[in-house]
Amino acid sequence: MKNSHRLIGAVGAFAALALVATGCSAASGDSTGGSAADEEITIAFVMGAESDPFFQAMKVGAEEEAAAQGVTLVWQGDPSNYSAETQIPIVDAVLANQPTALVLIPTDPVALQASVDKAVAAGVVVANVDTRVDDLSDVLTFITGDNNDGGSKAADALAAKIGYEDGGSYEVVVGLTSPTATTNVGRLDGFTAQVEAKYPGISIVDVAYSESNPEKAATNVNNWLTKFPGLDGIFAIDGTNGSGAAAALEAKGLDGTIGLVGYDAYPDNVAKIKSGIFTALIAQDPAAEARLAIKSIVEFIREGKTSTKAEVVIPNVVLDETTSADDLSKYTYVAN
Amino acid sequence: MTGSVKVAPTARNDRRDHLVGVATNQVTILIGVMVILVGIFSLLEPKFFSVPTANNILTDWGSVALIAVGQTFVIISGGIDLSVGAIVGLSGVVAAWTMANGLGLDQTVKGADAAPGLVVGALVAVGVGLGVGLVNAFLINVLKIVPFIATLATMGACLGFSVIISSGAPIGSANDFSLISAMDPKANPFSWTVLGVIIVIAIAGLFLHKSRFGLYTYAIGSNSFAASAAGINVKRHLTMVYALSGALAGLAGMFVYIRLGAGSPSSGTGRELDAIAAVVIGGASLMGGIGRIWGTILGALILFTVQSGLIMIGVAPDWKKVVVAVLIAAAVSAQVLQNRNGRK
Repeated sequence: MKNSHRLIGAVGAFAALALVATGCSAASGDSTGGSAADEEITIAFVMGAESDPFFQAMKVGAEEEAAAQGVTLVWQGDPSNYSAETQIPIVDAVLANQPTALVLIPTDPVALQASVDKAVAAGVVVANVDTRVDDLSDVLTFITGDNNDGGSKAADALAAKIGYEDGGSYEVVVGLTSPTATTNVGRLDGFTAQVEAKYPGISIVDVAYSESNPEKAATNVNNWLTKFPGLDGIFAIDGTNGSGAAAALEAKGLDGTIGLVGYDAYPDNVAKIKSGIFTALIAQDPAAEARLAIKSIVEFIREGKTSTKAEVVIPNVVLDETTSADDLSKYTYVAN
Repeated sequence: MTGSVKVAPTARNDRRDHLVGVATNQVTILIGVMVILVGIFSLLEPKFFSVPTANNILTDWGSVALIAVGQTFVIISGGIDLSVGAIVGLSGVVAAWTMANGLGLDQTVKGADAAPGLVVGALVAVGVGLGVGLVNAFLINVLKIVPFIATLATMGACLGFSVIISSGAPIGSANDFSLISAMDPKANPFSWTVLGVIIVIAIAGLFLHKSRFGLYTYAIGSNSFAASAAGINVKRHLTMVYALSGALAGLAGMFVYIRLGAGSPSSGTGRELDAIAAVVIGGASLMGGIGRIWGTILGALILFTVQSGLIMIGVAPDWKKVVVAVLIAAAVSAQVLQNRNGRK
């Protein structure tokens, strides 16, 4: 009994501590709110998961643009969980401080809709970056990388590496993170569509999930190599799958033999383009997405301008052995 | 304390009862389950029954077996350690950071050249794990926080620190991939790292089952008040148990580092649950006082046989969770039945 009381007490204390911590770090703007041109602008930026270098790179862009525009940036998000469950309370806490605007990377298109509606009802200007809520009618702008196009470019890079010829027969596999991540779905759709349209000799023989753990990604690749001894190529749909696949190929001495196209420019993976382990990496430009979101919001609030389109797609870049060193470092996801 | 000890004294010399005891023993059941699983997977995909598959399973098994063995000590002592998965990530990241920034080794340093760096990395990784284990012990012993909450808190802190140090991205440094590959891809599925894990686990097993340390662990898990009354320094013992669990998790972090050639903050994600599942399938009781190293080792092996088998036969990976759930339910109900029989 005593133990259970202590447990409840400890849970309570832990929860209270967490709430205070979230509240403190979110509280930096003034509480006047409103959206008049002469007032100080506070932009709350709630991203997916701090542990993802993609968002670290986005943070750099957001901070640069906020400083350039002279606005206050409140950067928030869960340290490691990309989930609606952890994101919704963070958005609520951030909105309680009445920011002028909210840039949100919804971790779920349906679950975060209510948070967006709530913000709009409170007079907060809302933009979506990377992912979107279902109903964009009250959202100022939605800025994203083109996952479909990235998948399609990955198919081209992989086909080039395996020396695709009409009439040939090739086996490739795709390493995903989860069956529901919208970015994964978009990239896989683009990849599959391009393979069907341009490379009918390529069969996607299997897909598997890493659950954001590079060791599990390596496990998947190990099993594929046993099951498909004639495997020609791997499309690793994100940075984690890329890390796991690269390690698995290296451990079996198959690096460079089997085509490996990854996604996201993690520094460690970019270095492996030069050593031939990665055929290519499809890089997004998260910093550009964040800069444009903040610029659009500030222009809208200060000048009433809505020059940014409702939906903006920032193109992907293919990094491979022909990419210049300057471009490689420009597109590598760096943290501040 | 353990399943095999619970045979009624009058049956001690009865051969038939002894055979029944062996047949219903947790380890025998687990070996049976293992044989059935391998049989089914091999029938459905003949390539499953091969040296490369055995190597894949052993490689997956290595890191989780290490943390599951530490978890066995903790669970037998009546506690739980949720921080081990996060320690795997943190220790790997700190080891990689030290090797990359402290020793200036990048990922182009390979093979035998990487050996000195890897030794330093391993020491750092075990040190980090040991440190977190001691923090767990402090929270539990001094601040009187229940193990579930104490280790949940350190889990969060470890995840946070590993992201802060690495900015979320894997840190690559020197590595020798031949340490993690099969010694002979055609005939011998064991790798040097897996062999190392087996040696560490053998020592831990002797420690648990043949030493006073192990005896005290069982005693505290069965009844910590009685253990204390019998003169065991419970706080000091629990400190050592959590430190051991942390150190083994740190070693697992180095194992994963060697596997990936990089320290990644997300490399231990969810591994604490795999470890707890392995311990429970292995026959330990979350109430404390019951459990065996052999059970844990086989429990972990079954987990990864299922994982590998499902990928090989092309079943959606989500089914792994269902299969593991069934295994856990079956293991726990087998335990309840055994306890009931033992009390007759």
